Amino acid sequence: MLVGPEQYIALSAVMFSLGVAGVILRRNPLIMLMSIELMFNAANLALVTFARAWANNVGHIFAFLVITVAAAEAAIGLAIVVVVFRKTATVDVDEIALLKG
Amino acid sequence: MEHVVLGIDGGYPLLVLAWLAPLAGAIALWAFGPRVRSLGGPIGAAICGVAFLALLPLWNAATAIGSHAYLFSTHSNGIGAAGASAVASYSTNASGANAAAVSTLAGIHQSLVSWAPGFTFGLLLDRLSLVWALVITGIGFLIQVYSIGYMTGDRAFARFFAYLNFFVFAMMTLVLSDNFVGLLVGWGLVGLASYFLIGFYFDRPSAVKASRKAFVINVVGDIGILFAIFLMFAAVGSAGYGDVFANVAKLSPGMLFAICGCLFIGCAAKSAQVPLHTWLPDAMEGPTPVSALIHAATMVTAGVYLIARCAPLWNASEESRMLVGTIGGITALAGALLGLAQWDIKRILAYSTMSQIGYMIMGVGVGAYDAGVLHFLTHAFFKAQLFLTAGIVIHALADQQDIRLMGGLRTRQPFAFWSMTLGVLAICGIAPLSGFWSKDAVIYGTLERGYPALYAIGVLTAGITAFYMFRLLFVTFFGTYRGAIDPSSLGIRHPELSGQAVEPAHDHHEAHPTSILMIAPVAVLMIGTIGAGLLWIAGWRDFFAPAFAGAPEGHGAVFLPELGSTILVTAVVLVGIAIAYVRYAAPAALREAIERLRVETVRMPAPLAHAFYFDVAIDALFVKPAQALGRLAGTVLDPLVLDGAVRETSIVTAWLGHLARSFQTGLVRAYALTLVVGAACFVAYYAFGAVR
Repeated sequence: MLVGPEQYIALSAVMFSLGVAGVILRRNPLIMLMSIELMFNAANLALVTFARAWANNVGHIFAFLVITVAAAEAAIGLAIVVVVFRKTATVDVDEIALLKG
Repeated sequence: MEHVVLGIDGGYPLLVLAWLAPLAGAIALWAFGPRVRSLGGPIGAAICGVAFLALLPLWNAATAIGSHAYLFSTHSNGIGAAGASAVASYSTNASGANAAAVSTLAGIHQSLVSWAPGFTFGLLLDRLSLVWALVITGIGFLIQVYSIGYMTGDRAFARFFAYLNFFVFAMMTLVLSDNFVGLLVGWGLVGLASYFLIGFYFDRPSAVKASRKAFVINVVGDIGILFAIFLMFAAVGSAGYGDVFANVAKLSPGMLFAICGCLFIGCAAKSAQVPLHTWLPDAMEGPTPVSALIHAATMVTAGVYLIARCAPLWNASEESRMLVGTIGGITALAGALLGLAQWDIKRILAYSTMSQIGYMIMGVGVGAYDAGVLHFLTHAFFKAQLFLTAGIVIHALADQQDIRLMGGLRTRQPFAFWSMTLGVLAICGIAPLSGFWSKDAVIYGTLERGYPALYAIGVLTAGITAFYMFRLLFVTFFGTYRGAIDPSSLGIRHPELSGQAVEPAHDHHEAHPTSILMIAPVAVLMIGTIGAGLLWIAGWRDFFAPAFAGAPEGHGAVFLPELGSTILVTAVVLVGIAIAYVRYAAPAALREAIERLRVETVRMPAPLAHAFYFDVAIDALFVKPAQALGRLAGTVLDPLVLDGAVRETSIVTAWLGHLARSFQTGLVRAYALTLVVGAACFVAYYAFGAVR
């Protein structure tokens, strides 16, 4: 079977949905960060797929940009998680509701 | 727009000095009063004397007859050609001609401020304002000298003189202004000065009440003048004297009557005319020199000034003359009748003031302006003298004001006795004292101009005046001294509140020796009391002829010549004196004086004892409804409507805040879900919406 853009996009959609489900359903911030990474990479996959399909390198450049941003985001996110854990001794995001109105 | 400026325009620094010096004195005494202490009196008096002296060199300029009325253009500042024609016409029979109306205000003019075309302020000194300005500063000076003696030892010595100087400034503003707006400013400021001085002893509730009453009634008058100014602006487009008077002929009779009526509301409030007179007797709460200066000699005659100033308006409006003359006559009679019922020496004088101002208003109202203005001048002398003499008596008797508790002061207070006798003779109109000439002129003036009913009131009032003034004289100075006897044997139930009376007007109750500072001003006033009336035969009418050109001419009384009228008035006056003598000073009356006074006190007719129920009526008609309205506003309008609206706004805002708070759960996953739902909606819109 020929693997075409449709299959890549389908995979990307599945990965993205899994990431969304992870962010919404899991309460462990580490898992949520990983789910976010999953969504980034789903988006990257879609970008690269379209870039190849339309022979246009802009998509590749965007994918590199997203990888860079994702790395920075993961670093900051993990640092926050560590600080919050030290303060509250919990890793349940539902209990960390400091911004409750 | 062409503006008619009255008087010869120029620079008159002395006029500005006379106007502003009292203000400077007032501010200085206000600011440094506690430091200068006993020097405050001499400083205040000296400043008033300076203002008086500054006016004297202006006499010739202010009274010179020449081309006085100029038409000024605000654009070119050039002198129009109307002056000469104006001068030419005022000697002829000027029946409402513009030029004649303009020429009534010959004099000197000092421009000061102009903040809009037709809206300028300047000082105008002509014959009319000259008479008033000299009386204000001259008698003001004498009374301030007197006050130095009278107020010695008072806690607020300097403050008193600050107020007096402020009053003189306000009154000068009133009479020197060249337009109605400036006049209204002065009009309001004298009311304020009067308020300060009536309530001078502000720790006494009755004084505070009296000052508030005076202020409120005077503000009613201010509103009247304000509306007159509105009407003038609507009809003429200016409130300058010249502009208004030059356009009298263009006003419709209804508009003219409305303007005159509104102006007269102001006059009635300021000059204690029925039914707005009730504040004047209560104003006697102030220190006696204040009663002499403000509530007898000057401020209360502002209404006379205003009508005399507006002679061109009244000349053109028969109905206004009728209205003002009638109210003046009623006031003269009512004041005299109420004077019969008083026991407080100052209240008797207050009602007699009201009655005499009634005469003045009647005089200027019917068109006998020169007679009314002369009565103002003579009254200023003899009434100030009477008040100051009463002050000497009160001062010497440790603040006793009830004449029933005086008696026999002739030998104890010879100076006061002779001064009081002179003043009483003058106010009764005994020839050749000042009151004789002016009162006779006013009374005959009404007959000359065809108001026989007012003439009858005038004659009758003269008789009543003679009776109650001699009653005052006899009860106070004849017989034996009654100060030591039990007040209840005189029918006085509450010695502290005899009659409707006033509490003692001084805050330290001991007998004082009479100082030379109190005697000298009275002696000077005596000169005027004796001689001021002679001005009538010394060319008074000619002096004012240019000012009151176009006044309704007397047709000459048809059935009574002037000499006959004089004899009639004098006869009625002598009858009044004779009755007073029989009742209070004949040997039989003096023997049983105490019993007679008791009977008179107990049997005083109720309408007189209650001052014809004016206070009751005003209370029921205006004061009570106003208070009810205030209570309604306080209990319903304010807490429910105004505060309610504010409170409801805050409640709704708080509720909206609560609503918004519920979205802020602090749950990261809830926020994420919101994002996802939003993104899903976004995608759905483009995915499916684009198809349609």
